[in-house]
Amino acid sequence: MIVNKFFFLVAFIVLTAAALFVSCKEKLPLNINLANRKYTFYNQDSVKVNFPEVTFGNVTVVGFIYVNCPDICPMTTHNMNLTEQRLKSEQVGDVKFVSITFDPGRDYPSVLKKYGQIRELDFNTWIFLWGDKNNTKALLNRLDVTAIPTDSSISDKGELTYNMMHTDRISLIDKDGKLKKNYRGSKVNLDELYNDIKNLRD
Amino acid sequence: MIVFITLIVLLMFKPGGEIVIKEQWLRPSAKKMTTALYFTIENETDEPDTLYSVKSYISDKIEIHETYSSGDMMGMREIGLIVIGAGEEVKLEPGGKHVMVMKLKRDINIDDNVKFELFFNNAGLIKISAKAIFN
Repeated sequence: MIVNKFFFLVAFIVLTAAALFVSCKEKLPLNINLANRKYTFYNQDSVKVNFPEVTFGNVTVVGFIYVNCPDICPMTTHNMNLTEQRLKSEQVGDVKFVSITFDPGRDYPSVLKKYGQIRELDFNTWIFLWGDKNNTKALLNRLDVTAIPTDSSISDKGELTYNMMHTDRISLIDKDGKLKKNYRGSKVNLDELYNDIKNLRD
Repeated sequence: MIVFITLIVLLMFKPGGEIVIKEQWLRPSAKKMTTALYFTIENETDEPDTLYSVKSYISDKIEIHETYSSGDMMGMREIGLIVIGAGEEVKLEPGGKHVMVMKLKRDINIDDNVKFELFFNNAGLIKISAKAIFN
């Protein structure tokens, strides 16, 4: 009788744990394989890399930015940075952060590097990616990210100025290059992102 | 009698408070790039006032903007001025109204202080210093 009770208790615990595990995994609604095509980019040091291969083996948090954005993209970058700081403080490894510019006409690798340096980001775990228009557009289309130049003007010195209207996006990619979930970049719930990263990593 | 009339006149024309700027900050950014300046405006006067211009040695191109969204798309547009009603408060904050500071003449690093001149219709010139922080 006691053996039976013990058996049912163990079975209950195992089933509950399994159900919780499955339910955590199911919270990630997407499963889009990005690894079946090579997207060629250059990192902040102008080294040619392929995405998403460049972060294979790591859970990857991807943000989409343009450097001249004063308000929305810095919020996205800041949210990613807060998440990275939390992961580091809790010694959670195997997570990479990637910022991809959708303004390749201005955000060359050196510009992206400066953007990261001035924010004191760690290039060991954070990669900035610049691609030519075709590669950038191909990846943005795949990820359903849109960016449109707006408010363009030319100064007396002949300098072109413009802003961009764009999708406000952070994406979460698994260790094999599969897109698992999208978030509002500037308004992401940091606990939700953190927990999804941990679930995907474990 | 003269004292009484003087008191009445003084009461009629008593200063109705002032424009107060508080909680000002901006983001670090690199030379030639863009940043945003944020602050709160308190209008303690009896009249509406209007912020219509911002200047600084850090940039020759400074505009008053707001962020807007359409679905999951976000953008910015120039609004030119900000009206602060009598006794009201307006917050310039991330994702909302902000001062867009373009083509920076030098890097703004964390903890740097940058001086700005704010021009109001009634209050005239108000000088502030904003600290660069991550946010």
